[in-house]
Amino acid sequence: MKATFGEKVFQTLNYVFLIAAAATMLFPLVQLLAVSFSSPVAADSKEVFLLPVEFTTASWEHILKNQGLWTSFGITVYITVVGTLLSMLFSVMTAYPLSRREFLLRKPVMLGIVLTMIFNAPMIPFFLTVRELGMMNSLWALILPGLIGTFNMIIIRTFFMGIPGELDDSARMDGCSDFGILFRIYLPLSKPVVATVSLFYAVGYWNTFSRAVLFIRDPEKWPLQMKLRAYLQSPEELAAVNMFLGDFDFNTTTLKAATILFATIPIILVYPYLQKYFVKGSMLGSLKE
Amino acid sequence: MATRSTELKQDGAPLPLKASGISRNRYIANMRKHWMLYLMILPGILFYVVFKYVPLAGSVIAFQDYQIFKGIWGSPWVGLDNFGFIFTYQDFYNVLRNTAVIALYQLLFGFPAPILLALLFNEIRLMVAKRVVQSLFYLPHFLSWVVVGGIVFELLSSQGVVNAVRGWLGYEPILFMQEAGYFRTIVVLSSIWKEVGWGTIIYLAAIAGINPNLYEAAVMDGAGRWKQTIHITLPTMFPTILVLFLLQIGNFLELGFDQIFNLLTPMTYSVGDIIETYVYRAGVLQGQYSMTTAIGLFQSVIGFILLWIFNRLARKTDQGLW
Amino acid sequence: MAKWYFRKWFGKPALAVVLAAGLLAGCGSPGGSGTDAGGPDSEGGNEVTKVKVFKSHMGVGTIPGPDNPHVQYVAERTGVQYELVTTPPGSEPTEFLNLMIASDDLPDILRPIGGIEQTLIRQGGALALDDLLPQYAPNVWKNIPQEAWDVVRSASPDGKIYYVPKVFLVPERAPMIRQDWLDKVGMPMPTTTEEYKQVLAAFLEQDPNGNGVRDELPTSGREFGKWMDHLFAMYGVAMWEGSPEWDVYDGKIQYAGVTDNMKAAIGFIRELYAEKLLDNETFLNKGDVWTAKINNNLVGSWYHLPANLRDRFTAIQQKAPDAYVVGMPLPKAEGYEGYVTQKSMGEPEWIIPTKAEANAPAALKLLDFFYDRSNDEFIRFGIEGMQHEVVDGKKVLLPPEDSRPLALGMRNLTTEEDMNIRIQETIPEDMQQMVKDIFEVSTADAKRIAGDGLPSTVYEGYPDIQSHKLFQEYLTKIVIGEWPLEKFDEFVDRWYTSGGEEVTKRVEEWYSRM
Repeated sequence: MKATFGEKVFQTLNYVFLIAAAATMLFPLVQLLAVSFSSPVAADSKEVFLLPVEFTTASWEHILKNQGLWTSFGITVYITVVGTLLSMLFSVMTAYPLSRREFLLRKPVMLGIVLTMIFNAPMIPFFLTVRELGMMNSLWALILPGLIGTFNMIIIRTFFMGIPGELDDSARMDGCSDFGILFRIYLPLSKPVVATVSLFYAVGYWNTFSRAVLFIRDPEKWPLQMKLRAYLQSPEELAAVNMFLGDFDFNTTTLKAATILFATIPIILVYPYLQKYFVKGSMLGSLKE
Repeated sequence: MATRSTELKQDGAPLPLKASGISRNRYIANMRKHWMLYLMILPGILFYVVFKYVPLAGSVIAFQDYQIFKGIWGSPWVGLDNFGFIFTYQDFYNVLRNTAVIALYQLLFGFPAPILLALLFNEIRLMVAKRVVQSLFYLPHFLSWVVVGGIVFELLSSQGVVNAVRGWLGYEPILFMQEAGYFRTIVVLSSIWKEVGWGTIIYLAAIAGINPNLYEAAVMDGAGRWKQTIHITLPTMFPTILVLFLLQIGNFLELGFDQIFNLLTPMTYSVGDIIETYVYRAGVLQGQYSMTTAIGLFQSVIGFILLWIFNRLARKTDQGLW
Repeated sequence: MAKWYFRKWFGKPALAVVLAAGLLAGCGSPGGSGTDAGGPDSEGGNEVTKVKVFKSHMGVGTIPGPDNPHVQYVAERTGVQYELVTTPPGSEPTEFLNLMIASDDLPDILRPIGGIEQTLIRQGGALALDDLLPQYAPNVWKNIPQEAWDVVRSASPDGKIYYVPKVFLVPERAPMIRQDWLDKVGMPMPTTTEEYKQVLAAFLEQDPNGNGVRDELPTSGREFGKWMDHLFAMYGVAMWEGSPEWDVYDGKIQYAGVTDNMKAAIGFIRELYAEKLLDNETFLNKGDVWTAKINNNLVGSWYHLPANLRDRFTAIQQKAPDAYVVGMPLPKAEGYEGYVTQKSMGEPEWIIPTKAEANAPAALKLLDFFYDRSNDEFIRFGIEGMQHEVVDGKKVLLPPEDSRPLALGMRNLTTEEDMNIRIQETIPEDMQQMVKDIFEVSTADAKRIAGDGLPSTVYEGYPDIQSHKLFQEYLTKIVIGEWPLEKFDEFVDRWYTSGGEEVTKRVEEWYSRM
């Protein structure tokens, strides 16, 4: 197929625009990286642009040898993995009946669920409910109250509704139950959306913060984001560190940059990995004619 | 058993399930036959009851003078006083207008942005370039609004890039952040910049489901890229677009506190003070839970009315949320 | 007991649903410690009483357990074992406290924030301490000045003492100016606002930072008009980090924001802005940007905490090795009596909930330990290896670290002597004299305002007045020249009609009780 002249111009402009825009989006992280490797004076003077000024690894050394940060890292990884798996399981199980016409309660249940998206519970009753379930200081408080993300569940349902009915008819002929249809036919056909929603859940769990603030009192169980805030919020304490050590290789600004990156980079790396499902998932389309 | 698919094939219209027309027996029969569906959804329903509806019952404090020390049973009932207070608040009209205007802008510009971007991504032929660019676009989502706010202030400062460009062109610098006229534009642009790549993912998942044969067939018919986009790509994305649209409508008046709070200055209060920033002053700083709950209910009711209207419209295409 | 809290909210049927749901969903709390138990009851039969202490903003560190040497030392001395409860990072401390109250989970003694003490006092949740203090906490009682106790009494409807106040007897903030810049432009310390303006103009024109670029910001402040109090102070405006306070004007107590002094100050600031003597981006400066400007040797005169000067000065020195910062005596404004606002006492520091009445003697004994001067050494340095280490025979505090337990401190009484000690401990020797001199200058100009100790309840129902939102809008828009100075009169009217009148009445009523 031959591209017309107009299409060529469009292609070029498209590349230029997308690459330029992408550069602006990369920039802040590169700058944070540069700051985290710069001397405190240079960082505080806003001299750092794309490359470190007065290169030093002091901030990173300080962070990486911090046992507490690694504990939090472990907790975050744990709730991200367990939470995402559980969330996907229950979301899929909720979305499937809601996508089926033969499920007569579909509309009232859907309405009831959508309402919870619009009407938010006030904080105090929410807190008391979770507390009464005995989840104070338990990592379950970071998972169960958000087990099903309504938005995510509805996305899955939308995709399920787009799967043609002939498929499950033939499956039923082969003796598949609804569970069988869901797990053997629907899920494999929905790889792109499963990847997408898993990513949404994973990022959500990774960034768990406000619920942790409410329910986790024990610093040993703090997820990474809370540790991050601990750094961001107590500049005086950190300033005190070098005050006592007489050491000016790092300060709040550089530590902040390093901590933000430490808490962000792992989750950022998930997406490029998941991207392959956005291509291979095209199987679904082959049935859609 | 084949009812569903045949019906779909015939006309794509919803089953004629009028509530009045269904007898109790029909429900029981349906339950017997499809008990597995009911079993499957049970945990989900329990989740919504326990973690959403039970706490939601606490919204009754909107009709009380809730005093934390006395609790919900000990606090006096005040009827609609809290709602009355909202509407007599001097600046309420202004706050509501600001919220609605920004929400409308977000809907008009922020909502289509990821759709357009997804289409642009779709035009990249080179797989590696596509993946890299996509991955870069989604980075800003991970920056907090405190960080992004700082970037915006810096970018638009007298030493910032924008004013540097103005300088080359021979214009005087403008302190954009303290001019009310630019505030809403800045809000919309910054949130597009931060979230557009993230928002695209979901549409890319939809596009990934398209059968390449469809495009090939279209090419045979002589359709260019533009026609392929209009006739194949967009229609495939449509159900997702519609659902996301409805969900955004439902939360119409909820703009997100963090963004506005980090971009607002006293010079832009007149256009940027929104419901959430007011709730922060009154609720968090003064501990007036009854009043903030009342405001929350007000926002929700508006959102629900809008959603109800649009959902009715959407049902005409058999794509409603319920 | 726990069930009861819940019924308070939802009643039995809901409880059943919730519990059933919990079972059905198969979600217990494995490994979780469940609702925190542990009451005041003593353990093991010895004489030690446990007291739960709530204090926010503790910084990084772990919560000390009962085996912690610091806890044990205090327990040995007082017979009271403290259990520290603190807010997690990133939480809104007020909200956290509200949740504690709502879930009936109050500690035995707490440091209130965000006006929570008034909630407790009015809802009958605070214990009157008038009789208990002299009996169980004699050091607290006698070390805090009588004047401060009077302020506390005035803040309650029945004139009783419901909390122990914070007392800060030295002015914390000071107007500062670069002496080396003054020398470079060859001008003496300004004594009038006119001279001050000339100095600022010279800073702008004569390149005192010597980089050949006209990038000096003669004076600067922060967003919302914070940290430019020196410009208001010259006109006798009671100002605290950019928020107008209450003081006596024309013989009666008034919100400084609506006085003629304020109008004059804003007029002056507006002129500085128009002539670029005030950083034109002052209202856009976030904290870090403002700090960077000072650090980068760009700012000539500013207002801040002298005790925190160390880091800034170190940075400035990198660019200007001969830099020197001094306190600036307030330049005289014609017809106005200037002063540096000082708030010394009356802010609530410790409060005991009525629920914890049985434990109140123990809680007060614990508190008294920290106010006992003979314990100063321990309070400051704590336990060796935990809070300090000995270097060359001298005790040196260890930096806080999140892997080390926190140590409770309860005293918030700062005298001049305390401040001197703090300077010696936290400021390098070569800067100590400079910081002390700055304090001396600002102390000479400082005045305790009449509204010191005003309870936040006066603002109830008027969040926009409490947050100074209206004031900030007019201040900033007039200063940047978008509105004429005359608009200030409109602000005064709007302030009064939108609740200022009622608030003023409440403040007058409070003041009459003082």
